[in-house]
Amino acid sequence: MIETKQYDFDAIVVGSGISGSWAAKELTEKGLKVLVLERGKPLEAGSGYLGEHAPNWKLPYQGKPPRELYEEDYPVQSKVWHSFNESSRQFWNNDKENPYAMDEGKPFLWARADVVGGRSLIWGRQTYRWSEQDFKANATDGYGIPWPVGYKDIEPWYSYVEKFVGINGKKENLPQLPDSEFQKPMPWFELEKTIQARLKIKAPDVTLTNGRVAVLTEDLPGRKACHYCGPCYRGCSTGSYFSSQSSTLPAAEATGNMTLKANAVVERLEYDTESGKISQVHVIDAITKKRETYSAKIFFLCASTVGSTQILLNSASEEFPNGLANSSGTLGHYMMDHTLGLSGVGVFLDNMDSYYHGNRPTGLYIPRFRNLEGQDQGADFLRGYGYQAVTIRMDWMTGINTKGFGAPLKESLRKPGPWVFALAGFTECLPRESNRMYLSKDKVDRYGIPQVVFDFEWSDNEVNLRRDAQKNADRLLKAAGAVITMSGEDGMSLPGEGIHEMGTARMGDDPTQSVLNAYNQAHDVPNLFVTDGSFMTSSSCVNPSLTYMAFTARACDYAVKQIAQGNL
Amino acid sequence: MNRREFLQCAAILITGVSASQLGFTLSAEQTVYLAAAPDYNTTPVNFFTPVQRETVTAMCEAIIPRTDTPGAIDAGVPQFLELMVADWLNDEERGIFISGLQDIADRIPQEYGKPFSQLGPQEQLQVLEALEDAASDSSWYDLGNIQQVYMSDAPFICQMKELTIWGFFTSEEGGSQVLRYDPMPMYFDGNIPLSPDDSSWSNSF
Repeated sequence: MIETKQYDFDAIVVGSGISGSWAAKELTEKGLKVLVLERGKPLEAGSGYLGEHAPNWKLPYQGKPPRELYEEDYPVQSKVWHSFNESSRQFWNNDKENPYAMDEGKPFLWARADVVGGRSLIWGRQTYRWSEQDFKANATDGYGIPWPVGYKDIEPWYSYVEKFVGINGKKENLPQLPDSEFQKPMPWFELEKTIQARLKIKAPDVTLTNGRVAVLTEDLPGRKACHYCGPCYRGCSTGSYFSSQSSTLPAAEATGNMTLKANAVVERLEYDTESGKISQVHVIDAITKKRETYSAKIFFLCASTVGSTQILLNSASEEFPNGLANSSGTLGHYMMDHTLGLSGVGVFLDNMDSYYHGNRPTGLYIPRFRNLEGQDQGADFLRGYGYQAVTIRMDWMTGINTKGFGAPLKESLRKPGPWVFALAGFTECLPRESNRMYLSKDKVDRYGIPQVVFDFEWSDNEVNLRRDAQKNADRLLKAAGAVITMSGEDGMSLPGEGIHEMGTARMGDDPTQSVLNAYNQAHDVPNLFVTDGSFMTSSSCVNPSLTYMAFTARACDYAVKQIAQGNL
Repeated sequence: MNRREFLQCAAILITGVSASQLGFTLSAEQTVYLAAAPDYNTTPVNFFTPVQRETVTAMCEAIIPRTDTPGAIDAGVPQFLELMVADWLNDEERGIFISGLQDIADRIPQEYGKPFSQLGPQEQLQVLEALEDAASDSSWYDLGNIQQVYMSDAPFICQMKELTIWGFFTSEEGGSQVLRYDPMPMYFDGNIPLSPDDSSWSNSF
């Protein structure tokens, strides 16, 4: 066979966030010439982090939110209270410029970044392996379709990405939460040790362990161990947490094989009937609105779950009238997100004369303890949940409405108050066909691309899981010795608020039931790979980014081998 | 280079070779580096009348006075308050604040024979406590009010306290001389001794 076709690039990766930057690194290191397209603004590592290390007195309004601006331009993103404020706003999407739609009465929070690096700059950094039980969940209880991949298939890829990412945590040998390749764990507050000792006696069914987090406790090449300044979401110029900027993009750049274009909005992929493959990508420049096309041998969609699915739906053609690679009709369906929220809060008067130095960029974690194999037969829900545990010493901010004036008020406000130990449950979400995203028929964005519409509701299973998480949080906080316990807020988190949206181009062995095969390759289009959260066939209850990284690296390995064998 | 200048430049210095080789460019609107910006409470403002300014200054100092550590005036809280009232409060909130302030400016000279700013500490306290007593039914005092959202219908005295306390503990003086400030802790230790007189850390948000 004579190779006649000339391509602009060997591979095109859409998106520069966690998945896209991993694809860029893996493909360039394997010698491919790669174009990375990022719809967000350019952002330089380090010097681009404008809010980093700014003390409170430098912030506009000394940290009070500019309310009018947020209501007008950031009504969605400003709801992400844990990481959106004036010190980080530069990384986030402007909702007015980039709107989306929702079905009547069905709110959805779509948190988006708008810079090179994507949400890797502002993510929660929690990194947990899935277990064998997670990969078997669908096959076991019949919800969704079986995963085409088992834990043993992905285990070496977890190890591979973990060594590069740099994760600190503590080995626990738990079947429901396999250990990662760990750097040394971060130390604990004294109160956490007190709580752990009590739980061991009074609640032996749970394990209290370190949050497993992609923050360095030991230097890696080009990256420094954490300096414990606190607000990671402002960006980290020492590269102490994993982001595209700190880790994967520099590695891809170092190969000399990467071309990165910011402000590059992908409109659609073009399917070539003759070859049965994607021939090129159509791109709109976000500033000039100029249109361009680029061709390549293979295409990796890593534009986030919603972003990639939007591109596929918008790439409909005669052959694929319902969206590219959508002969199964499942594209856009089976969307999932984790419910999250405070399950319980406990006030503690132990260890009052013990304080801390430094801001630890993670809490603790209580791995899933419900519905483990052969357990909890009577539960009114399937699957399970884990708790992220946060330890806080109360201070002036929680006492701002104290009565009184003058020196006594000043004295009481300047000193630490009691300890608070809070449990936030993250629950698994079942894959359901009715939870979906689709393209609006009448609303377009400023590029003329149809807007995304969300149609998503929690099912009884998620409601029951959350109720159980609240009940058990109260039990655990009492067992831990809380003098006061408060139940978390009633009601469910908004769909999307977990910022773990996934599942809209799920993988499976059956091409009539799924979009992708076991290697993230589209059943219908062999040179198309999708490796962000959209491939997820179920959701587990653990934070998903590590799993996206492992599957991305594995898909890149497979794709390059397929090229070498002449199959692509 | 002192510690503070070091911090202001740290991000740029520590970035290192690998990142600067990337060659991503900065766009024009991305060039304000917050740590090197002027303090917020030095922003010029001229919103209050001289009498209002004098009253606000005396009230915030009475709420957070100078003791052996800086007080509200030392920390620039009067300027912070004027900025927040001028730029940050909405019309409803500003209306409540200004009429509450005007009430103090008008009423106190009638009741005490001199303005609030010239009252002795005990008399000032009496005035503030009377205001707080009258407002004590407000949900602003509820345990669950942890200030995530500013309460638009909060009475004047509650606004005054919230903005004073916020402005004080987020100022450089309040944040680093009354609270403890260490922007580069370098390590985490979850068990250091706390003496009864020790202050909290000044935390970033």
